[in-house]
Amino acid sequence: MNIEKVILNASKTDCTGCRTCATDYEADNLRHAIARLNGISKVKVDEITGKVTIEYDTQRISLSKITERIEKLGYQVEILSREEIQ
Amino acid sequence: MREHVKGLIPVISLGLFALAGALISGTQVTYAHEISITLTLIAVAIGYHIYLHGIRSLRHGNVTAQLFATIAIFISVVAGLVLPSASATGTAEAVGYLTAAAIVAFIILAGMTLEDYIIHRTRGALEKLINMSPTTARIRRDGVEVEMPIDEVKIGEIVLVKPGDKIPVDGTVISGHSTVNQATITGESIPTEKIVGDHTFAGTLNEHGALEIEVEKIAEDTTLAHLIQLVEEAQEKKAPIQNVADRFTTYFLPIMAVLASVVFAASYFTFDFEVALARTVTVLLVACPCALSIAVPVAVAATIGNASMNGIIIKGGTHIEKLKDVKLVAFDKTGTLTVGEPRVVEIKTFGNYSEADTIKYAAIAEKFSEHPLSKAIIAKATGMSMKIPDPTDFKTIPGHGVDAHYGNKHILIGTKMIETEISEEANQLMSMVESEGKTAIPIALDEHVIGIVVVADTVRENSLEAIQRLKRLGIKTAMITGDNMRTAKSIAEQIGIDEYHAELLPEQKVAIIGEMKKGNVVAMVGDGVNDAPALANADVGFVMGAAGSDVAVETADVALLGDDLTKVEYAISLSRKAFNRMKGNIVYAFIWNVVALSLAAFGILNPVLAVVLAEAGCISVVINSALLLLSKPKPLAKIKG
Repeated sequence: MNIEKVILNASKTDCTGCRTCATDYEADNLRHAIARLNGISKVKVDEITGKVTIEYDTQRISLSKITERIEKLGYQVEILSREEIQ
Repeated sequence: MREHVKGLIPVISLGLFALAGALISGTQVTYAHEISITLTLIAVAIGYHIYLHGIRSLRHGNVTAQLFATIAIFISVVAGLVLPSASATGTAEAVGYLTAAAIVAFIILAGMTLEDYIIHRTRGALEKLINMSPTTARIRRDGVEVEMPIDEVKIGEIVLVKPGDKIPVDGTVISGHSTVNQATITGESIPTEKIVGDHTFAGTLNEHGALEIEVEKIAEDTTLAHLIQLVEEAQEKKAPIQNVADRFTTYFLPIMAVLASVVFAASYFTFDFEVALARTVTVLLVACPCALSIAVPVAVAATIGNASMNGIIIKGGTHIEKLKDVKLVAFDKTGTLTVGEPRVVEIKTFGNYSEADTIKYAAIAEKFSEHPLSKAIIAKATGMSMKIPDPTDFKTIPGHGVDAHYGNKHILIGTKMIETEISEEANQLMSMVESEGKTAIPIALDEHVIGIVVVADTVRENSLEAIQRLKRLGIKTAMITGDNMRTAKSIAEQIGIDEYHAELLPEQKVAIIGEMKKGNVVAMVGDGVNDAPALANADVGFVMGAAGSDVAVETADVALLGDDLTKVEYAISLSRKAFNRMKGNIVYAFIWNVVALSLAAFGILNPVLAVVLAEAGCISVVINSALLLLSKPKPLAKIKG
């Protein structure tokens, strides 16, 4: 086990400013999609700031695989910070 | 479900505080006014979610509906606290402004929560798929059976699946015999027989026999997990029609900001400050592009969700729009319209020999041959529950047939092997069979022809219906094949296909699709293996029987996970319906906005009515789109173009 914690900013570029984006469902979708990847131990998505906190086992999944998945769901990803915690 | 209940808590508490505030203000209780104002302010504060979004958008430099709502509510609160004088009517007015702010916050929050719920339900199609995959597996390790989390199962291990249990992994059956319902993957509820050597998918249901399965793929690598990811991604892929809505919504809110200022100025000079304020707030609240922005994406998500429950993966909104325009569907023949393997379709006998005798001797001679025609004969014999003894000796001559002995009997198979005169009757029969594009195999026993086995690639059970369905939609059908003209003609006649092109090389298939595309939107249906270039050249490429083959799913625009060709018609019908729904949504949302705005600008609406209108417009569009999820394939007789 080699747990790393990463904080990302995930934003949709094509927001049209409707109220729907503000519903939790976008955040929920993203959370579920990440959580279902192998080797993820914790996911937190802040639907207000778009900040995503992920803890994952580096031996089971790479950061690039995680960001690729998020990008495929239509988000732009920016890595804010990364640290080894265990 | 629990999450949704949790989402209701702020909505309900906001409503209760607002209600309490409004009720207490009319009573004689000491400090009634102050208590009322406090309760109402608390109510407004509970809607903090809205304001956070509004303020956040400002930081990103976006103008959003949330921001408008935030400003409107803020103005009402400030007006309620500052504007009224200390007189009795002033007090009532103050409460009026604040209550309006609280009600507006309540309606927006309630609307958001309801939309959230409906959109979740739309995505629910996917959740259902996800819940199909078991989280534990029963494994045999060192001779002991243990139940363990799926994450800890290793590739190559043996999983035991009891009757009635879900299969937890992708793998190969190494022992046992059962039927498996693969509807999760293929959308077809008729169970598939599984014997040793067959492939199984995680998330499918084992019916009546126990199976031992060697693990090949687990967790996120299984076919089911891949399908889920694909569907999730497809739901995010925009339909081109969304650009229409987006172009509009880009300018919508900035224009609304200008309009609000104009309304404020005009009513300030015509009436007074308070009227101007009320109208401006109303415009800000009614100006909600939601209905327009979500007119398309929710419909796309619902359509793709619906399709995935029927074993169809439509890979994005673009394909929905292409599908709705399809005028011609070209099918590959072998393996698509037909089963793709020769089968014994008829047995003719001569003299006193029965069908069973003919097949039995043929099967003995062919027992150790790997030729596809031999396999067809063996399969037929096995299907007739025969035990096939070994031949005493045999010799296969490629391109000619088989010469074998069984005890003291001499078996010859194939026209070129049989040197004795073949009767006129048998000869005629054989040329007739061959003119139908089938293969006739004569069987001789001790130099006498005892029967003819007729072998042919058979048309799939539902090919005929698939073609009929498309015809009812007014769509032309074609078959393109590398096979010979005779066989092509025979199959085309059996299923009533409009046109056929035979003896084509792969590059000729590509060229023919190119020809067809002149003036038509063309879909092509194939197995994705040897017809990939032609599939890519079509406007929409359907790959059938795609479950288990990542490459096939990858190349397809639309993947049919099972073998049911009638799904082609359903994909097209569903797309037509979905597109009409999207178009209708956009028009409806546009009209709704224009009407509501006009009413607001001329002071016919008050803020509360404005927000009710805005939310109602939005929710009706969401519901209208989400209902696409409930669409079902129609029976053949009910299909109309």
